[in-house]
Amino acid sequence: MEALPAFGEAWALILQPVVLGYLVLGVLMGLCIGVFPGLGGIAGLSLLLPFMFGMDPILGLALMIGMVAVVPTSDTFASVLMGIPGSSASQATVLDGFPMAQKGKAARALSAAFASSLFGGLVGASFLTVFILVARPIVLEFRTPELLMITIFGLSMVGILAGRVAIKGIVAAGLGMLIGTIGEGASSGDLRMSSYDFPYLVDGLKLVIVGLGIFAIPEIITLLRNDRAISQEAQIGGGWIAGIKDWFANIWLSVRCSIIGVIVGVIPGLGGSVVDWIAYGHTVQTSKDKSNFGKGDVRGVIGPESSNNAKEGGGLVPTLLFGIPGSGSMAIFIGAIALLGSGQIEVGPAMLKNNLDITYAIVWLLALANVVGTVLCIAASGGIAKLTTIRFVLLAPFLFMIISFAAFQSGQNLMDLVALFAIGFLGILMRRFDWSRPAFLIGFVLSNPAETYANQAIQIAQSRFRKGFVEGIDYIFSPIVLVLLAITLVSVVLGLRQAKHILAEGDSKSGSKRAPMVFLLCDHSFHWLCII
Amino acid sequence: MSTLKTTRRMAMGLVAAATATFGLQANAGGHGIDLTGKTVEWIIPFSETGGSAKWANFYAPLLSEALPGQPTVVVKFMPGAGSTKGANYFHEQEYDDGTLIFGSSGSTQFPFLLGDPRVKFDYADWNVVLASGTGGVAYLPPELAAKMDGLDASGLKDTDFIYGNQGATRLDLVPTLAWEMLGLNVESVMGIKGRGDGRLMFERGEANIDYQTSSSYLSGVTPLVEAGTAVPMMTWGALSDAGDIVRDPTFPEIPTFKEVCEATDGCETSGEKWDAWKAFFIAGFPAQKMVFLPRGATADAMVTYTAAFEAVKARADFAEISGKRLGKYPQMTGAAAEAAKASGTNVSPDAKAFIVNWLQEKYGVSLN
Repeated sequence: MEALPAFGEAWALILQPVVLGYLVLGVLMGLCIGVFPGLGGIAGLSLLLPFMFGMDPILGLALMIGMVAVVPTSDTFASVLMGIPGSSASQATVLDGFPMAQKGKAARALSAAFASSLFGGLVGASFLTVFILVARPIVLEFRTPELLMITIFGLSMVGILAGRVAIKGIVAAGLGMLIGTIGEGASSGDLRMSSYDFPYLVDGLKLVIVGLGIFAIPEIITLLRNDRAISQEAQIGGGWIAGIKDWFANIWLSVRCSIIGVIVGVIPGLGGSVVDWIAYGHTVQTSKDKSNFGKGDVRGVIGPESSNNAKEGGGLVPTLLFGIPGSGSMAIFIGAIALLGSGQIEVGPAMLKNNLDITYAIVWLLALANVVGTVLCIAASGGIAKLTTIRFVLLAPFLFMIISFAAFQSGQNLMDLVALFAIGFLGILMRRFDWSRPAFLIGFVLSNPAETYANQAIQIAQSRFRKGFVEGIDYIFSPIVLVLLAITLVSVVLGLRQAKHILAEGDSKSGSKRAPMVFLLCDHSFHWLCII
Repeated sequence: MSTLKTTRRMAMGLVAAATATFGLQANAGGHGIDLTGKTVEWIIPFSETGGSAKWANFYAPLLSEALPGQPTVVVKFMPGAGSTKGANYFHEQEYDDGTLIFGSSGSTQFPFLLGDPRVKFDYADWNVVLASGTGGVAYLPPELAAKMDGLDASGLKDTDFIYGNQGATRLDLVPTLAWEMLGLNVESVMGIKGRGDGRLMFERGEANIDYQTSSSYLSGVTPLVEAGTAVPMMTWGALSDAGDIVRDPTFPEIPTFKEVCEATDGCETSGEKWDAWKAFFIAGFPAQKMVFLPRGATADAMVTYTAAFEAVKARADFAEISGKRLGKYPQMTGAAAEAAKASGTNVSPDAKAFIVNWLQEKYGVSLN
């Protein structure tokens, strides 16, 4: 088969000192950006893009891949050490990673996370090497009803993360979905909760801002109220080896979550920001002893971290094979490839035929970048982990500045900051009154795909039904849809039963009944207003 | 305290002197402006991932080399509100020193032409230095293409078509109006995010008619044609110097919509519908992307930028590097660009009224 010689050629391309040098440079730059919460690969890549013109293709690719690959590894720092999601793929890590840091086990959490990230990246690359050859026909089987079903499956994760009182979690997800609809409707162009006189809301709220606002700001405020350092113990603990042993003890979990990550990344149009929630949900559902989740169970770190690195590899499939970016940074990646190849390298269906060696080179450069990134992260973590021992009052202004910068930099719009603090306020209230914020975020992220796919599936199905009842049913209830439907039902039933044990909000103290009641009423009136 | 005052005065003096030098330099000579050591900001009111980004990223480094003083050319993306946000922003800028330029696309022109309430800018204020055209190709699955009798599309009239549509008032109105004029029954599935998604729907068998702009067709659909899963139906054509629709130079073997319309019963290449289609076609394709200098731009600046773009076009390797990225379309400067801008940003009131009414009837979209 032509795959093996292409594979060999790819390695010949990669294993040159110059290429590896550029890779390390890219990783270093990605590390600097990834450590700061909220920035993510897209900021760095768009800065790099103008310089790519005229660069040798392999060198330029190595540089870019280095940047993109290390972000899901380095975002763990912010998630574990500060309880602030480092990037949109690292939200679930916060749930268990941060409590571990609070108990003084930051080093253990970090090393488990890095080991999982590395493993996830490598599993993703290996899986891709084989899968990419058969990927096209399989991906083409995922039509609109299948995509809708996966979105619904993602929404069902809410059941697990619903918190102590399941109905509150579901309402929180509903609130997230409503807020996700703000702006111009996809199909009809009509405006929801916005008007042309106030142009900011017409585009809807951005995920970076909502994610940072709903998670980061409440955590910072809570820590400020406690007026101590993040870690309640004196040192970060010496659990480096323990973390790696933890990972090894749960290696099959890591493998499963990596596969989940790759598959979710492969399917175009899903948006990888839910992959870590799906992995977290899977981790919880398949564990026998669930009592520690949300309080610092290392498995809650291993699962999501394996999946988010694997997702980067999976995202290459739609990007390279279809020319459809799997995520925002992949979109810039496509633009850069066009610049570099000066016409010879065209992403799209011809990629496998004409450029199979470059394709494999990309896949394995990604794997190598994961390795380099992990090594650098481990080296840097000693110093960075000491941050948790500083009194938080000193750290908080710096964190606020970074978060505001991350929110501001994508659009340079002052309204972004206003939105950030408005969402932050909402997040504070939700945390205080024990409404599940992960559920909110899942609702927010999935509201757009859910609406678009449902709309399109109905339109296409209607025309099929007009041709014949059987044709219509065939289209909607294809085998893949039925399988996904079964998985979703199982997950919802199990999830609701076990939700009581997962403290998605940690131990939040609730005082009197009056304040929670007011918040509840506000939330419900907002829902009713939207319906009307 | 007095030392501070003196230092401050000295500093202010230096700043004033420096500003004076810059000011003098900009007006000196009358042979164009010098941009040594400056950074030119090129605003693109779209995201980093779209066709306009590719177009700007292609030209930016070439422009940097060709401008006097070799300034750095940086592309700044300002997406939002369907590109009206960036356009409204540029509308508020006055010409300063030639370091600000703007790139618009068909998606900026259409809201302007249709009277979208978000539009606060006016193309008449801006000065065009480059107009890039592009084309579009419609294609069908092979079993449906076989129903066409040469150029006559009447055989397709009883087929139910599904098309992935980005939005009623977007560029998609050119293909959908064309298909309606041919008598085809095309149902639009609204709300897809990009034309690439439309192509994906076609590949999955959910859509059975689609169109792509030239560069996407070359990279994404040509392999499908080679594999036998897609057949080109027609191009929208290109504009000759005399203003007629002729065959697309990138796809000389594929017939144009005009030819197919002439061969199909019930489709007229004259009259209200045709005029409206042609007006919006020109705005959307041959004059799709334009580079502007802001309001109040001096003649020197116009000359400088026009000369720079002509220098880029005159490069020995231009045909080679632009062929795959932009297609073989005229990159117009000077008077040709002005003509393109005029035809791309003006439609007759009749054509506009027809389209607005058609959108209302077909999609229920009202533009008030």
